[in-house]
Amino acid sequence: MKLSDLVGEMSNPIHFLNRPVPQELMLELLNYAIWAPNDGLREPWRFIFADNQNGGLMQGLQEPAPAYLLVVMREEADRHKREEDFAAVCCMIQNFRLLAHEHDLGVRCTLHDWMYDRSRAETFGVLGSERIAAVLELGYVTAHLKEKPEAPELQLRFELL
Amino acid sequence: MNLSELIRERRSIRKSNSRPVEQELVVELLSSAARLQPPIDAGSWRVVYAGTPEANKRLVDCMLAQMSQSKLGKLIPGKLLDVFKKRFTDIPAHVIVMSTVGPDRLTNDRNYASVCGMMQNFQLLGWERGLGMLWDTESIIQHEGFFKGIGLRKDERFVGILHLGYYDKAPRSRKRTPAEQKWTVFQGHAT
Ligand SMILES: Cc1cc2nc3c(=O)[nH]c(=O)nc-3n(C[C@H](O)[C@H](O)[C@H](O)COP(=O)(O)O)c2cc1C
Repeated sequence: MKLSDLVGEMSNPIHFLNRPVPQELMLELLNYAIWAPNDGLREPWRFIFADNQNGGLMQGLQEPAPAYLLVVMREEADRHKREEDFAAVCCMIQNFRLLAHEHDLGVRCTLHDWMYDRSRAETFGVLGSERIAAVLELGYVTAHLKEKPEAPELQLRFELL
Repeated sequence: MNLSELIRERRSIRKSNSRPVEQELVVELLSSAARLQPPIDAGSWRVVYAGTPEANKRLVDCMLAQMSQSKLGKLIPGKLLDVFKKRFTDIPAHVIVMSTVGPDRLTNDRNYASVCGMMQNFQLLGWERGLGMLWDTESIIQHEGFFKGIGLRKDERFVGILHLGYYDKAPRSRKRTPAEQKWTVFQGHAT
């Protein structure tokens, strides 16, 4: 599938099916996703996978989902580098969302206030030198994810220098 | 080119050829890039485009203003500065991206994350058309004069410049760490 074919499909709301998410597939997709641009090739990311087959995991923190992927980022002392690293992580996540879509996997990329809470993050194994960049809610979705709804009017804010 | 090949093969392009970049294509790719995202607040980012020789010159001047005026810059021989200038002036087009600053950290992070995702879509869509890019955040350009030059507003932050151009040959890729080495499975019962 070509990327341009996916335009319009990525904005459908995601409803998960009750099916397990195989780790091998996650790793396979991530091994492509990590070809994201990243300054200084610092590869600032790390992954914590949490299966939610039995339900109840991350209750009160996240919406229910068959699995979660915590995307953890090393925190550089330098603010400028921290920003670049966060940008790189976002590019990597975007790659992953696109790849997952091709496999009928829905990805909700979420950022919430609890992720800034160090002691909360620690309970998931996040180190003091790291932060949670985002939590991805993952699961298989029905094929209608591939429908293209009426394109919403898009106001591109594009100006000339 | 399928999606995984596209993602794997995209490279940052630091040397472009002289083939011009069409503004219409840039607008088309940006619209598509935005439509590969969840429907987000469209007001959370803005781009400023430089694609004519005059605009490019203005951009390069404000990028390098600090450098040429700083103490260190004064030590740089004029000739070297010219070489530096020419390197940028030869790039056919530039997309400057800014994201809206919100009232709190979470809004800022969300806005920033979503515009970065859009920029990755844009880089990939460009690559699909043979258009190369380089995401530039060099700290040397990040100063007052530059922000003023690009028209950055009070409620905005600078995310990066994407330098755009067609290329003769893509550079070789550099090895990445396999995901398996950065993978942990959570076993506990947090929350
Ligand atoms: C947020 C961000 C900022 C970057 N800033 C620069 C930069 O200022 N100068 C530069 O040469 N490359 C910059 N890059 C590009 C990286 O150097 C490049 O992605 C990395 O070397 C990997 O090469 P590849 O993109 O060809 O895979 C940046 C990339 C990102 C994501």
